[in-house]
Amino acid sequence: MIFLFIGLPLVVAALLPLLGKLSKRFLPDLLANAVFLVLFVLAVTSGRQMISQGPVLKQLDWLGEALSIQVAVDGFSLFMLMAIALLTLAVGLFSINYMEHYGAKANYYALLLMMMAGMNGLVLVTDLFGVYLFLEVAAIASYALVAYGLEHDELEASFKYLLLSVIASAAILLAITVIFGMTGSLGFAAVAEGLRALEAKAVVGFCSALFIMGFGLKAALVPFHAWLPDAHPSAPAPISAILSGLLIKVSGVYAMTRIFFNVFGLTPALSQILMYLGAVSIVVAALLALGQKDMKRMLAYSSISQVGYVVLGIGIGTPLGIAGGLFHLLNHALAKGLLFLNSGSVQQATGTRNLDEMGGLAKRMPLTAGTNLVGALSIAGVPPLGGFWSKLLIIMALVQAKEGALAVVAVLASVLTLWYYLLIQRKAFFGKLDEKWKAVKEAPFWMSAATVLLALLVIGLGLFFSAVIKTWIQPASDVLDQGIHLALGSWGF
Amino acid sequence: MNSAWFVYMAFAAGLLAVGVYCLLTMKNVIKLFIGIEVISKGISLGLLATGFVKKNTLLAQSLVITFIVVEVCLVATALALIINIYRHTKSLDVRKLTKLKG
Amino acid sequence: MIWHILLLSGLVIFSILAILSKDLIKSAISLAVASLLLGILFFQMQAPYAGVFEISVVAGLITVLFMLTIALTKTEGDVRESRSARIIFPLFFVAFILIDFFVMKGLLQKVPALPDAAELGAFGDVLWKQRTFDLVGQLAVILAGVFAVLALFRKRDKDE
Repeated sequence: MIFLFIGLPLVVAALLPLLGKLSKRFLPDLLANAVFLVLFVLAVTSGRQMISQGPVLKQLDWLGEALSIQVAVDGFSLFMLMAIALLTLAVGLFSINYMEHYGAKANYYALLLMMMAGMNGLVLVTDLFGVYLFLEVAAIASYALVAYGLEHDELEASFKYLLLSVIASAAILLAITVIFGMTGSLGFAAVAEGLRALEAKAVVGFCSALFIMGFGLKAALVPFHAWLPDAHPSAPAPISAILSGLLIKVSGVYAMTRIFFNVFGLTPALSQILMYLGAVSIVVAALLALGQKDMKRMLAYSSISQVGYVVLGIGIGTPLGIAGGLFHLLNHALAKGLLFLNSGSVQQATGTRNLDEMGGLAKRMPLTAGTNLVGALSIAGVPPLGGFWSKLLIIMALVQAKEGALAVVAVLASVLTLWYYLLIQRKAFFGKLDEKWKAVKEAPFWMSAATVLLALLVIGLGLFFSAVIKTWIQPASDVLDQGIHLALGSWGF
Repeated sequence: MNSAWFVYMAFAAGLLAVGVYCLLTMKNVIKLFIGIEVISKGISLGLLATGFVKKNTLLAQSLVITFIVVEVCLVATALALIINIYRHTKSLDVRKLTKLKG
Repeated sequence: MIWHILLLSGLVIFSILAILSKDLIKSAISLAVASLLLGILFFQMQAPYAGVFEISVVAGLITVLFMLTIALTKTEGDVRESRSARIIFPLFFVAFILIDFFVMKGLLQKVPALPDAAELGAFGDVLWKQRTFDLVGQLAVILAGVFAVLALFRKRDKDE
């Protein structure tokens, strides 16, 4: 049942080009969005039931014979699966209208499905090499999607992204090789067991450094962030939403967290390094976001900053901090996805991304302006929206852990974030309506539907935050809290 | 047997360094692609040598084969990008690709 | 052991040649020779399947794709590489190799690795039965690569 998360996107993607030839009109859109919807419902209903007793290890059977395909599902994986399915559904709906003028929609949806299959696979595997493999699947799909428009900017951004990604993969594989040499195996449980028996601090430190470099590049943490401000603005808007909202978190933050918490075990040194990396990302990216004229570039720098918050929260290591970090991951995924989708609506209506050229669009595009305000306020941390609660949790956890300085930094950066988001809002939407935009219309149906859906969810996450934390965040946080005992205990096979 | 492991890993790391150096300093986009290839050789060497030292060659071989398959798909995508870049800028100079500031 | 060191050195030397050489065709050939040496090394390490794959895919298929790209992107002038990069390289490389050897020796020699488990089964068993998930991943990555290339080479309409 859980294998559908990887198998369904794969099969539908393989069939899409053929089916696309049959009916170019709506079949690809329908199929792809149906897959996203099905997986979301699956994650919410039967997924939660599956893990109610604790983490679960599932084996695939084929005609009675047990294939050696094992996946592990626990609170953390299910949380990611739910987030992935949700945002991909919104992006899929948005793409129905937006990707019209890019052409070859069947191919686009096939790539989107492959990226989702890669991300789902990454979340579900139980050995280190599988993490690398599915990371590459999602990455290759993303290179093509970033360059989808085939213009100069997009090709340049995609190529630079590819080069830096290769370095990231090399670092990750080198670390995996050394671990393989030390423990002789690759599964999470076996490696955790082996490392515990070995007591080889220096080598584990070396591997941790390599993992931080590799996954930090994928998550665009400062100083590994150079590719993101080019790649995310150049990509088509729905792809920017998925990259910022999901890919950097799944292939960067999730992979790093899973390995550091459940396989290596979080040491105080590692915790400090993660916290400082997060804090540096928050500050540097927020400052860099201030000077931007391009709307999507500002959003891209903001992504780097907010991922810093997530890493900071998770790095604290206490249950409160982890919960804050994970809740912020979800908030940011939905809100940043919303903001990027809106930037796509604006770009399609006005033909520009330059904030100085826009003005007063709220009068002609009220839905876009309204949803944009919701998303911006959530990320900036304004109550009662979700971002406020997640940032509050992180700051409380910092204070509890006696990291007063970092807490002050987090609060100040939050004020900065609010400032530049209000700047976007004012420059693009409020203010006087510029002459040339008198004729723009509101975004087409599916695009508006997708953004309204996300806006409602963002508001919902804020209003019902305690319910959300109890049902989704708490199980995930518990899993990470158990540390290597999870790998040794319930996953041991 | 453990004493030989570091020799192989040192060579693998050397190949990785050469590849990364290439990615950082070369200006022809096809040379950059060669850098990617050299990095892949370093990784394959590292993986298989580790398996060899641990007497675990079968597992290491399947890892290397999977890695080579990933490699080929990456190369195909990279070359497709390079050909498209050539069509746009009519040159292979990466210095022409500095419109975006990063 | 001495064979291995020779093959490894050859591999590194040809890789360096591939990078520093000015002519792209010579680079391609150096890279192919390096792959060949790596394949032979794999055979020497009792890894025949990896050796065959390395030689046929990397030294074969990738070199062909490489030549195809070179042919499709013929430019008038050569791209001027920075002189300093080629001059600094030997210094960088020697320094790196020295540091590298000592770091690796220090890190990995003392590692009391777990005792090796006896390996059971044939290669086919390991690939198909133990690492089945890898095969699913391979299928996924091949599909992703195919769609990526199709997307990047698609026909653009005149007015796009």
